[in-house]
Amino acid sequence: MKNKKGLQISFAWLFAIIVGAFILFLAIFGTTKLIKTEQTIQDAKTGKDIGILLNPLETSFETGKTTSLTLPVETRIYNKCNNNGMFGRQIIQISQKSFNKWTETNINVGFSNKYLFSESYTEGKKFYIFSKPFEFPFKVADLIYITSSLKEYCFLDAPEEIEDEISALKQKNLLIENCANSEKVIRVCFGSGSDCDINVNYNMKYVEKNKGKMYFEGDALMYAAIFSDKKIYECELKRLMKRIGHLALLYKDKSGFISRIGCESNLNLLELNDLTNNFESSANLESINYVIEDIKEKNEDNVLCKLW
Amino acid sequence: MQIMVMKTKKAQLKIQQMAFMLMAVTLFFVLVGVFVLVVKFSGLKESATALEEKNAMLLVTKLANSPEFSCGNGFGTNRVNCVDADKVMVLKESIEKYIDFWGVSNIEIRKIYPKIDSEIICDIGNYPNCNVIKMRSKEGSGTDLSNFVSLCRKESFEGEIYDKCELAKIMVSYESK
Repeated sequence: MKNKKGLQISFAWLFAIIVGAFILFLAIFGTTKLIKTEQTIQDAKTGKDIGILLNPLETSFETGKTTSLTLPVETRIYNKCNNNGMFGRQIIQISQKSFNKWTETNINVGFSNKYLFSESYTEGKKFYIFSKPFEFPFKVADLIYITSSLKEYCFLDAPEEIEDEISALKQKNLLIENCANSEKVIRVCFGSGSDCDINVNYNMKYVEKNKGKMYFEGDALMYAAIFSDKKIYECELKRLMKRIGHLALLYKDKSGFISRIGCESNLNLLELNDLTNNFESSANLESINYVIEDIKEKNEDNVLCKLW
Repeated sequence: MQIMVMKTKKAQLKIQQMAFMLMAVTLFFVLVGVFVLVVKFSGLKESATALEEKNAMLLVTKLANSPEFSCGNGFGTNRVNCVDADKVMVLKESIEKYIDFWGVSNIEIRKIYPKIDSEIICDIGNYPNCNVIKMRSKEGSGTDLSNFVSLCRKESFEGEIYDKCELAKIMVSYESK
C-alpha cells in the first residue's frame, strides 16, 4: 500500500488558501485601481490648474505678455479644440510621467473663454505661455501660445516690429539671433531662408508649416499659426469667429441702447455677424477683413460715440 | 465510531472558526477601503472648491478687461479695469448665451461712489438711476469675490454727449462643491 498522507490537504487549508488568494487579489486589484484613479485625479487637477492660471494673462493693452509654468514631473499638455455650441470649447488633457510611463488620459478639462494655440501636445517640465490680444476690429480675446522649454523658435529675417516684440518679451525660447543648428531649434523664416521648418509670408498673410497653409490677419493670428498645428489653428479660429459674431451683436444692441441719448453709430455689424456665421476656414479671413476695415474706420471716426 | 464523530465535529468547528476569521479579515479590509475612499473623496470635493475659488479670485482681477465688459477706447483712451455700463446692460439681456462662459455662478457690478442709500437693481427701465447690475437675477448661494473698477457710460446734457465714470465693485460668485 502506498502512503498517500503527504498529498492530503485538509479542507480547512484548501479553504484558507482559496479565500486568502482571493483577498490578496482584491487588495492588489484595489490598490492598482486606486493608483490609477489618483493619477487621473492628478491629471484633471493639473489641467484645471493650468486653465485657471491662464486667467491673469488677460491683457488690457495691445501688448504681449509672457510667463512660465514649471511642473514637478514631465508632463504632456494635450490641446484639443471643440467648435460645437455657442462658443465652442477649449479642452486640455494632461498626461504625466509616472514610473517612466505616460499616464493614460481621458479626462477633459474644458473652458469656453480660452483660446490656446500649440502643437497637438506639448511636452516638458517647463512651459512658456505667451498671450497677445486679438482685435478684429474690436478686442475679441487674448490668444494664448504654449511652447515647451525643450523647443526653441528662431525667427529669421522677421520684420522690425516682430523682432522688437520678441526682444521685449524676453521669452527664453524665442530667439531672433544666434540660433544654434540643433534638432531642438525650429527655424521660422520670414524671407527666403534655407532649412526652414516654418515659412511666413508676411505680405500675403499666410504661414506654411508641414506642407499646410494657414492664413492670418494681424500679428496675434500670425503667432497662432506659427505655434500651432493646422487643425488646432483652424478650429480655434472658428471659435474666435463665433465670439466675434456674438460681440458684433452685442455692439449692435449697444448702439441701439445708447441712441436713446442721441449717440448714433451706423456700423455694418449685422453683416459681420453673417460673415462669421458662414466662416469655414482661414482662407475666408481676407474677405471678412474688408468689412472689418470699414467698421473699424467708421468707429474711429465717430469720436463722441465710439462703441469700443 | 463515537471517536470518529467527535473528530468530525471538531474539524467542522475549526472550519467554521477559520471561515469566520477569514470573513472578519475581508470585512476589515473592505471597511478600511471604504474609509480610505471616503477620506479621499472628501478631499477631492475640497480640492474642487479650492479650484473654483482660485478661478474666481484670478478671474475677478481680470474680468473687467474681458471684451464683454471692458471700455476699450470707447471712453477716450484705453483704460484698465474699466467696465462699460451700457455694454453690460445689453449683455445682461442676452446673458443666457454666456452661462458657463466664465465658469462662475454669477457676476454683479455694484456702484459704490456716488453712494445711493438703498439697493436699486438696474433694468432697462430705471437705468442709469440704479446702483446694482446683476447679470443673473436669481439669488445665489455662492461665495463672492470682488475687485474695484471704474464704471463708465455715455451721458448727455443739453444735447452734448459726454462720458461719465463712477467707482464700482465687480463681484464674482462661485458655488462650493
